[in-house]
Amino acid sequence: MLSFALRRFALAALILLVAVTLMFLMIRAVPGDPVQIMLGPRATPELQARLTAELALDQPIWRQLVIFYGNMLQGDLGTDVFSGRSVTQIVFQQLPFTLELIFASIIWSAALGILLGAYAAAHPNTVIDRTVAVLSVSFVAAPAFVVALLSLLLFAVHLQWFPAIGVGDGFWDRLDHLVLPAFAIGLSWVGYIARLVRASMLEVLGENHIRTARAFGLAERRIVMVYALRIAILPVVTVIGVGMGFLLSAAVFAEIVFARPGLGKLVIDSITTRNYPIVMGSVLISTGLFVVSTALADLINAWLDPRARTST
Amino acid sequence: MKIEWMKAPTGRRSFLKGATALGAAAAMPMGWAGHAFAQDAGTLRVRAYGDAPNMDPAHSVGVVEEEIHASIYNKLIQYKPGSEWGWQLDAAAMIEQVDPTHVKFALRDDIGFTNGHGAMTAEDVKFSFERIVADATESPNKPDMGPLSHVEVTGEREGTIVLNEPFAPLWSIALPYITGNIVSKAAVEAAGGRIGSDPVAESGPYLRASWSPKEKTVLQRNPDWKGDAPAWDTIEIYPIDDENTAEIAFEAGELDLTRVSLGSVARYRDGVPNGGTLVENPSLFYVWLGMNLDHPKLQNKKLRQAIQHAIDVPTILEASYFGAAEPSTGIIAPGLAGNRAQGMVAPQANIEKAMALLAESGETNVTLSLDILNKTTYTTMAQVIQAMLAQIGITLEINVLESGAFWASGDNEDLQLVLNRFSMAPDPSYATAWFTTEQAGIWNWERFRNEEFDQLHAAASAETDTAKRAEMYQRAQDLMEESGAYRFITHEATPVVHSSRVVPALRPDGLSLLRYFGKA
Repeated sequence: MLSFALRRFALAALILLVAVTLMFLMIRAVPGDPVQIMLGPRATPELQARLTAELALDQPIWRQLVIFYGNMLQGDLGTDVFSGRSVTQIVFQQLPFTLELIFASIIWSAALGILLGAYAAAHPNTVIDRTVAVLSVSFVAAPAFVVALLSLLLFAVHLQWFPAIGVGDGFWDRLDHLVLPAFAIGLSWVGYIARLVRASMLEVLGENHIRTARAFGLAERRIVMVYALRIAILPVVTVIGVGMGFLLSAAVFAEIVFARPGLGKLVIDSITTRNYPIVMGSVLISTGLFVVSTALADLINAWLDPRARTST
Repeated sequence: MKIEWMKAPTGRRSFLKGATALGAAAAMPMGWAGHAFAQDAGTLRVRAYGDAPNMDPAHSVGVVEEEIHASIYNKLIQYKPGSEWGWQLDAAAMIEQVDPTHVKFALRDDIGFTNGHGAMTAEDVKFSFERIVADATESPNKPDMGPLSHVEVTGEREGTIVLNEPFAPLWSIALPYITGNIVSKAAVEAAGGRIGSDPVAESGPYLRASWSPKEKTVLQRNPDWKGDAPAWDTIEIYPIDDENTAEIAFEAGELDLTRVSLGSVARYRDGVPNGGTLVENPSLFYVWLGMNLDHPKLQNKKLRQAIQHAIDVPTILEASYFGAAEPSTGIIAPGLAGNRAQGMVAPQANIEKAMALLAESGETNVTLSLDILNKTTYTTMAQVIQAMLAQIGITLEINVLESGAFWASGDNEDLQLVLNRFSMAPDPSYATAWFTTEQAGIWNWERFRNEEFDQLHAAASAETDTAKRAEMYQRAQDLMEESGAYRFITHEATPVVHSSRVVPALRPDGLSLLRYFGKA
């Protein structure tokens, strides 16, 4: 298990390096003088020259990359051009808002998806199973931005049950503000996870060890909950790990539609203003999050199912 | 195969009972029902277009930060809310232009700075204004202060602003806008000469209580403020870029005031939810179609004029602004000195004239490109223009660019036609400044070069006779239009909706003056 974990984290580090380098090169390939865009039309030539030097934009691109990684290894992601605040501080100030949105979405969609999928598998070819199937496909097919707008109009404007914008203050208020955005970006995952669990569960329930358990006279509830679900849930763990990437991108539009702070909104604003230090800081953290979550999912998978340790 | 699992807890009745209990438990502490009614009677909630990370007026980037600065700092004079541009006294008890280059002022004796920085003095005014023009400050707002020489301190609270030459925008931009904010000399010097994202000392009717980046800024009544008491205890400012989101938040009762999209104006004219009101203000922005005079394809003036006459502005406005904006006659909006009652080319297209001009030009099989910003308004506008130019036989290719790439188009020599929109402060000099020869290839994307225009721009800034000044700016716009490089489209509009509990205080262009907001 230890050697598997080491191999997996080495791979994660390599993925992070490649992804961040690619982003570094791509943002510099986008047309437009970043200094002019950042400082606006009225900046003095002296100020423009100073910022160009500060950001090392007068250096060859390979050197800029070396400087970036050199600073990063020392924990210095640079300074925001507009506010003079440290990029690390800015990014870590926004990160919790994105994380709470992603985790809230994962938790409710996984809980409901697993419940629906397991229940459908336990009642195959019944009305419940067919209803769950129709609902699951509908959830998967519903575009998240449409769900977001409709839920805003219904639950925030018409019924006024939940707030439309912001993140709130205090635990309950923050939870209240999470309901609609987490619902919007988690809904399609309910359907996806339900389908996945149902298929996986049906396969497991047909396996020899389940038949043996039944032959020994174990309670059906124990067979399903202890022996079948533990194995059937494995694909969900992997999917949730990969799903972090999807949810990170979904969080971008949720942060815009629900006017929430967060990493996604920060990246969009920074790319528009060519605020290179913040773009790179945000990309580094979000890519890191994605890479770590997929690695963790693989490790959990390997822990739950020893066969997986030899496959990577 | 039928498996009876988790029988007891998943029975229909049990499930319903459990779900109901869970729902009720979750909803109760959250104040589930009636969010709109949970609003605090003393809190005003408004939307801003963006976040305001900078509390230094010298480095303010525009109206979003100025909305906050104007509430937490004082100026000698402030804009007067209403439908006509004007100013009123703020920190000044008296202010008087004694000659074209000298302005005397006396400060009120009841304004103090927070954090123990004492009373506001003429030294603070001198420090605040002179640091804007000092090279060391590197303030992008330096041009707003124009030819400021220095501020002479003649008493503890008296002084004279001394200009190197007359400067008409002193009263319309320099003093009542961004550069007019007075900061505490002692506090700024103690902070190393620059204010960051936290104000080092405040003096206005409100204090910035908190700033949560990208979430909200909270202003609270300044307990030591001795002037007219502001109506609201607290102002919450939410940075929301997306107009549709802001509209939904307003309709959900979570905002008291927001600008709305022009596409929503017709809907709000039929009725504003929650007993609110729609206020339609003109805007100072100017939108135009520009033609790059340096491009080989656009050297023929008759061709450019054919394009001017082929474009039907009312149709563009109907399609892109849903009829909520009026055609413009130039770059200077109505209400400002220099606005032209009518342009040289009528807003309506004259296809016959356009075709005649094209024939006179001798150009055939003309294919041009039009660069636009990636916003629905501009793509619609571009498609309408494409159809109009097709009527006279000109093929138009549309290049849609994201904002960073679009705003870097100044040095793009291949640029042919461009749909552009510039923001504006309430003085005509702010508009003409971008079209001088010096700006060609920087912000003058048409590369319009005209010696008379340059002279008019320089002279009009120093002209203190309003009528003469207006004539100069009108002539400057005639020159722009005569060049064939411009088809003026609109100044847009600023529709704002507000809730029934608010009496808004807006500038004539619809922007908020938060410190003057009242309660209904």
